[in-house]
Amino acid sequence: MRAMEDTDTGIRVPGAPGADTAGGAPPRGLPRHWPLLLAGAALLPGAVLVLVGRSLDEPAVQAWRTVCLAVTVQALPFLLLGTALSGAINAFVPASVFNRLLPKRPALAVPVAGAAGVVLPGCECASVPVASSLIGRGVAPAAAFAFLLSAPAVNPVVLTATAIAFPGSPEMVLARLLASLVTAAVMGWLWLWLGRAEWLKPAVRHTGHRPGQSRWAEFRRGFQHDFLHAGGFLVVGAMAAATFNVAVPRSVVDAFADSPWLSVLFLAVLAIVLAVCSEADAFVAASLSGFSPVARLTFMVVGPMVDLKLIALQAGTFGRAFAVRFSAATAVVAVVCSVVVGGVLL
Amino acid sequence: MKRFVQVGLLVLSGLGLLRTSLFTDAYLRYVKEGMRPLLIGSGAVLLLLGVAEAWSAWRTARPAGHGAGERGGDHGHDDDHGHDRDHDHGHDHSGVPRVAWLLCLPALSLLFYAPPALGSYTASRGAPKEVAVVEEDGFEPLPATSPLPITLTDFTQRVRQDTGQAIKGRTVRMTGFVTPAGEGDGWYLTRILVSCCAADAESVKVRVYGVEAPAADTWVTVTGTWHAGGGGSLGTSSAAVALDARGVEKVERPTNGYTDALPLMS
Repeated sequence: MRAMEDTDTGIRVPGAPGADTAGGAPPRGLPRHWPLLLAGAALLPGAVLVLVGRSLDEPAVQAWRTVCLAVTVQALPFLLLGTALSGAINAFVPASVFNRLLPKRPALAVPVAGAAGVVLPGCECASVPVASSLIGRGVAPAAAFAFLLSAPAVNPVVLTATAIAFPGSPEMVLARLLASLVTAAVMGWLWLWLGRAEWLKPAVRHTGHRPGQSRWAEFRRGFQHDFLHAGGFLVVGAMAAATFNVAVPRSVVDAFADSPWLSVLFLAVLAIVLAVCSEADAFVAASLSGFSPVARLTFMVVGPMVDLKLIALQAGTFGRAFAVRFSAATAVVAVVCSVVVGGVLL
Repeated sequence: MKRFVQVGLLVLSGLGLLRTSLFTDAYLRYVKEGMRPLLIGSGAVLLLLGVAEAWSAWRTARPAGHGAGERGGDHGHDDDHGHDRDHDHGHDHSGVPRVAWLLCLPALSLLFYAPPALGSYTASRGAPKEVAVVEEDGFEPLPATSPLPITLTDFTQRVRQDTGQAIKGRTVRMTGFVTPAGEGDGWYLTRILVSCCAADAESVKVRVYGVEAPAADTWVTVTGTWHAGGGGSLGTSSAAVALDARGVEKVERPTNGYTDALPLMS
């Protein structure tokens, strides 16, 4: 009987209307039977998962789950780093710091912010929450987006990985650095020229530190909120990437290697759907040996800037209207930049 | 989203990561060995966040026992009050979208129902990994031990690139798992290699002739010599990466399956 009651309450929780709409509920502590609710919430999805899983113990489903979990597990530490950093920027760094560090004119701030991406050692999951909190602290959105795009591609960890993956061709590292920086700067300027503030979700406004509140509590709450938020979207992206990974065998990929133009476009699309972490994509690019160097460069420039899990993360953080336009524009600019830079250098 | 749901999600995710990385080796099915400290750290941080949230919620709940939503607590730890008053201007940290529920899927999966490492299903679908090109005189003389323990990658390089043909006539031993071949006789001895996580898995395969195929995904050590019947000439890319097997024995699955390691000598 006890167990019945337990699951009963467990079911009602997710369905409770309006319970989790932003700010709608009055502040409440733990409900009365919260251990029971917690146990219900913990046991019920698990039970369903096992039942569904047993019936679908096919190799394909198992491979899908493994890949999905692999993308999630690989990205979680970096997502955590990014959300912690974003929470810290929000709570501890006064807005005046950014005004002093960045040039006043947004057109100048864009390339500076792009180059500043060098300091964030991590993959693309970390940069979305950080860019969001930068905007909240008064940094021009254009500059924050330049940072968002360049940080995962130009940091030392990723460049080192690229050098290891392409031994004996340092021009590949240079081409990746240049093409990524140029794409980031062009996208920043494009936003200055065409971007509209209403595409951004209003919730993107971080408040920063408020007088009378503990900075640590603000840090903790911001960190926690951003992580839960972005983590959910990370799972969405991981599922999408795993679906592609399992549904399309590698041999299909190799069929596109022959035509030079088609192969560039194909690897750009592949970078978007595979959603490989930017610290690993150099190794994947190196393994696509049938493709031209320019196509492989495109893969490494597009991948950290646009991919399924990033689009999901951006849609969650900045809003869907923004994510769709921004990702589409970035993909086009990134392909053009890598073809130009690759054509000159490789 | 209610606070206890957030506590639950954080604690579950933290426990899931800790279980997979600290208490078992299951993380090796998904990512590389080097991720372990990061995963343990992340698990601990998530657990701490969950505990802090529970503690803060408990502190708020206690005085509010006389009436929910009572204001005027002097709790610096809880900025719900502040947010609630002017949440229109603020980044509201108490509202988490429903999408966060999805986090419980990987967390529960890691805790209770971890999927196995990639195996023959993945290997049979991908084209084999291109092995690195060895420099012209980069091949060391092979050690004289017989049978010679060798990795699948090394064997492929020797067969396809070593113009000195040092592998010719040598008895070698290799360990991998079994992938059934689609057509023709024989089967594949396989290893899956990852460069970052299981999403970028690639396989190396050696075709095995002469012994019946064990069940798919069984880990075996195969002893044999290079299969000369494939038609190509040894040391060129036309050579078949294949083995005439003399013996097959079952072995334990290695802890870290995503590496191309030498067979253990028994």
